[in-house]
Amino acid sequence: MSLIDSVMAGLALVGNWEAFLSLAIGVVIGVVGGAIPGISATMAVALALPFTFPMQPINGILLLLGVYKGGIFGGSIPAILIKTPGTPASSATILDGHPLAERGEAGRALGMALWASCTADFVSNLALIFFAGFLASFALSFGPPEFFALILFSLTIIAGVSGESLLRGALSALLGLLLATIGLDLVYGTNRFTFGDPNLMGGLNFIAVLIGLFAIPEVINMVWHPTGHMGKVQKLGSKWVTFAEYKRSFRSIIRGSFIGVFLGSIPGIGAAPAAFLSYSEARRKSPNKANFGKGEIEGVAASEAGNNGVAGATLIPLLALGVPGDVITAIIIGAFMVHGLQPGPMMFVLNVDIIYGLFIGLILSSGILFIVGGLAIRGFRPVADIPKRILMPMVLVLCIYGVFAVNNNIFDVGVMFVMGWVGFVMARYHIPAAPFLIAFILGPLLEDNFRQSMLMSGGSPDILLRGPITWFFWTLTVIAIVAITRGTMRAAQSEG
Amino acid sequence: MQLQLGIGAILAALFLILYAIPHWVSSPSNVRNIVLSPLFWPYILGGLTGLIGLALVLTGRQRLGGGEPVNEPIDDPRQGIMRLAAMAVLMVASFWVMPWLGMVWTSMLAFVALAFLVRTRHPATAFICAIVVPLVLYAFFAHVASVAIPQGELVRLP
Repeated sequence: MSLIDSVMAGLALVGNWEAFLSLAIGVVIGVVGGAIPGISATMAVALALPFTFPMQPINGILLLLGVYKGGIFGGSIPAILIKTPGTPASSATILDGHPLAERGEAGRALGMALWASCTADFVSNLALIFFAGFLASFALSFGPPEFFALILFSLTIIAGVSGESLLRGALSALLGLLLATIGLDLVYGTNRFTFGDPNLMGGLNFIAVLIGLFAIPEVINMVWHPTGHMGKVQKLGSKWVTFAEYKRSFRSIIRGSFIGVFLGSIPGIGAAPAAFLSYSEARRKSPNKANFGKGEIEGVAASEAGNNGVAGATLIPLLALGVPGDVITAIIIGAFMVHGLQPGPMMFVLNVDIIYGLFIGLILSSGILFIVGGLAIRGFRPVADIPKRILMPMVLVLCIYGVFAVNNNIFDVGVMFVMGWVGFVMARYHIPAAPFLIAFILGPLLEDNFRQSMLMSGGSPDILLRGPITWFFWTLTVIAIVAITRGTMRAAQSEG
Repeated sequence: MQLQLGIGAILAALFLILYAIPHWVSSPSNVRNIVLSPLFWPYILGGLTGLIGLALVLTGRQRLGGGEPVNEPIDDPRQGIMRLAAMAVLMVASFWVMPWLGMVWTSMLAFVALAFLVRTRHPATAFICAIVVPLVLYAFFAHVASVAIPQGELVRLP
């Protein structure tokens, strides 16, 4: 199929009002979810997932991508207004956004956040379109040993999402890998931790585990500390961002977008480091260096460009290799699976229309985000003011319906409740949940490809180093481990 | 905290290696190569859990007395624990009652109970939402998504 044919096939899929509406609804849900502290873009994507089941695959996935993109921008609203990032990615936005809000210029900060977000999002989408196909065509020559080496390298993602302690991140990942072994054995079909219960033979339901880990702990946390969310809301003010300010910050926005694209395309780095790197680079190069941290509009632009530049780029490893770039794309992988699609190089052969449909939808999403974001800024108050103690019971009920709907199985609701408590205890002990989820997804793939490789070679481990591709990934893994170890040791030295 | 976690991880690893894997993972007797056995991967993971636990204990001992909090303090920890216990009861009850009472009615009761547990300042709104939200979700999942939402044995919805 030629490029023009592929684009036309994609256009045929998304050139209808249902696809457009799905994307727009997704962006609205994302902006609202991101704007409510405690919901976050991750939880918004997880909660929206069950509603996509009855939809066409392309519309369902577009809706979730809309939630993702809207959520990353939406997170900047509470970051600027109440100094509480709606998503971790918006942490850097606080540095200059909140001082602006304190001066009564929240509207100006939010306007710049929106303009920078949409520009970076557009750049990121273009990067996805140009690089994902190239990477996928390269990955078509992969066999089980190559995939094993790739997934092993991808597990180094865990270092990026481990937060304050790598060891706790590793423990979390091991719990995820162990939980992924529940069910019938992949090769011999024997029982592993099933206790004779047929509900466990297919393994734990991915959606139940993910909603349990990300949404239910928030509900339990609210029960533990019902008044912990109280905060002060700032005024929008009458000053708005001007085109001259956008032009002045344009270099920082483009630089931040490329930083976001580069870091986003490497699995596991995530949006928060991209935002901070973009911010520090903008500060280093700006003539207004002294104003950074005190309410510099260019600082808001740089942070938002950094975190939104990641949004499209994290889909590069997802679509091309089937490897999630961060937690949200890990959830979106679940949506692909629910709709009977397997992201990875074969998708560029078997479902090229969906791939190009997604590309077209993503380009549209930047424009939709601009419109929806503009409206959300003006109407932020009802969004931010939904009482959390009404919201959390709603979240619980939504989770119950959503998880049940996956397999029409009440057992999954029980799994979700149990995972909710696991997530709550993990949070109390500062064990990050993201490594757990990523390992839970990658675990079966890692084991499956390892055992297939061993079957191919009759048990000889030499096959795991059979060619340049496996060598390449093993080298990357070793480099990543050395870099992680050095980083951890440096952090320990500076602490001690 | 690190020390407690490390000890927990070591105990979990020992339990996995010495009891859980031998008893709860079955393997065919004719597997010639250990790396192909269904037991191989769980044992590797059990061993790694033990190693991580050991590393946590070692780093935890270095940080002993550092005063790292296990969690944020709250004003009423005893009441907090009582609320958590009530939440656990609510979840267990919802799970067991759902097949008999139906998902809609169970969700309504769970909504009201949770709103009460988190001491909502908007009881009337909570009550209205407790009725409307489960009904709207039922309408969507049952009539749009064609999901067979459990109806229970008492009152059936159209």
